[in-house]
Amino acid sequence: MKSLVIIPAYNEEKSILKTVNDIKEHAKSFDYVIVNDCSMDKTLELCREHGLCVLNLPVNLGIGGAVQTGYLYAYKNGYDYAVQFDGDGQHDASYLEKMRDYMKDRDVDLLIGSRFLEKEGFQSSGLRRFGIRYFSHLIKLLTGVRITDPTSGMRMANRSVMEIYANCYPKDYPEPESAVAILNVGKKIEEYPVKMREREEGVSSISPIRSVYYMIKVTLAILVEALRK
Amino acid sequence: MMTIKIQIIIGVCLVIGLAAIVNMIRRRRLELKYALSWLIAIVFVLVLDCFPTLLTRISRMLGIWAPVNMIFFLGFCFSLLIIFTLTVTLSRMSERVRRLSQAVALNEEKIEKLLKEKEEKTT
Repeated sequence: MKSLVIIPAYNEEKSILKTVNDIKEHAKSFDYVIVNDCSMDKTLELCREHGLCVLNLPVNLGIGGAVQTGYLYAYKNGYDYAVQFDGDGQHDASYLEKMRDYMKDRDVDLLIGSRFLEKEGFQSSGLRRFGIRYFSHLIKLLTGVRITDPTSGMRMANRSVMEIYANCYPKDYPEPESAVAILNVGKKIEEYPVKMREREEGVSSISPIRSVYYMIKVTLAILVEALRK
Repeated sequence: MMTIKIQIIIGVCLVIGLAAIVNMIRRRRLELKYALSWLIAIVFVLVLDCFPTLLTRISRMLGIWAPVNMIFFLGFCFSLLIIFTLTVTLSRMSERVRRLSQAVALNEEKIEKLLKEKEEKTT
C-alpha cells in the first residue's frame, strides 16, 4: 500500500524543511511530494539542495491548482492514499498514519482533519471561526452532512476521490467546495480530530480585505456545486 | 432622424477603428479569429450609419424613437456580447494553462528521476 503526502508550497523557505522532517520522522510509511507553486523566495533552491522530491510549477496556479498537481501525481503514480498537508508548520504529521488506518477500517473516501471535533490546539480567531461555522451550516443544509471544519487543509483521499480531484478541482479557496463536490457523487466523508498549530511562517492566503470575496465566492461555489447534483 | 453631424462623427470613429484593427491583423498583432466579431460589429454599425433611412425603419419597428439611440443600443449589445465571449475564452484558456503547467511539472520530475537513476547506474 502506497501513501503520499502532498505539500503545496508558496514562499515557504522558512518552514518547508521542518515540515518534510516532521513527515520523515512521524509518518515513515508515507512518501511526500512538494508542489512548488512558483515561489518567489528560495523554496525551490532549498528543495533541490536537500534533494527533496519536488514538482515545480512553471506558472503560479494558486492553491487549488497546486494541490491538484499533487493529486494528479498521486493518481498517476499508483498511490492508494494521498493527503494534503500545509507546508507552513500548521499541521502535525504524527496524525497521518492514524488517519490512514481510520480510513481503511471504516472505508472512508475522504477524511478531513478537524480542529473542532475535540476543540484542542489552535482554534483560529473568532471571526474566522464564525465563517467556518457558517460554511459548516451551509453544507449541512445542502447535503445533510455535518462537517465541523470544512476549511481544513488537512485531508486524506483514497484513489476514487484522487481521481475526481485530478480531473476537477476548484482554483482558489477550494476546501469547502471540493468537499461538497465529493458528497454530491455519493462519496463518504468523515472527520478525524487533530490539533493544529498556529502558523509559524508565512501569512494566511485569506487577508481581511479578501475575506469578503472569500465568503461570497465560496458560498456561491457551494451553491453551484449543489446545483450540479 | 440623426443629424448629419453625428452621422459623420460616428462614421469617422468607425472607419478609424476598422483601419486600426485591419492594420493590427496585417502586422499579426491580432488574430483574425478573435478580431472577426469586432469587424462584423463595426461593418454592421457602419452600414446603418451610412443609410439612415434603413436605420429609421428598424428603430421604428423596435419602438425606439431616436435612430441614433438605436446605434448606441446596438453597439452596446455587440460590445457586451464580445466581452462575454472573451470571458468564456478566458475561462477556457486558464484551464488550459493550468493543465499545461501541471503536465510540465510532472514531466520535469520524471526527467529528473530518470537522470538520477542513470547517474547512479554509471557510477
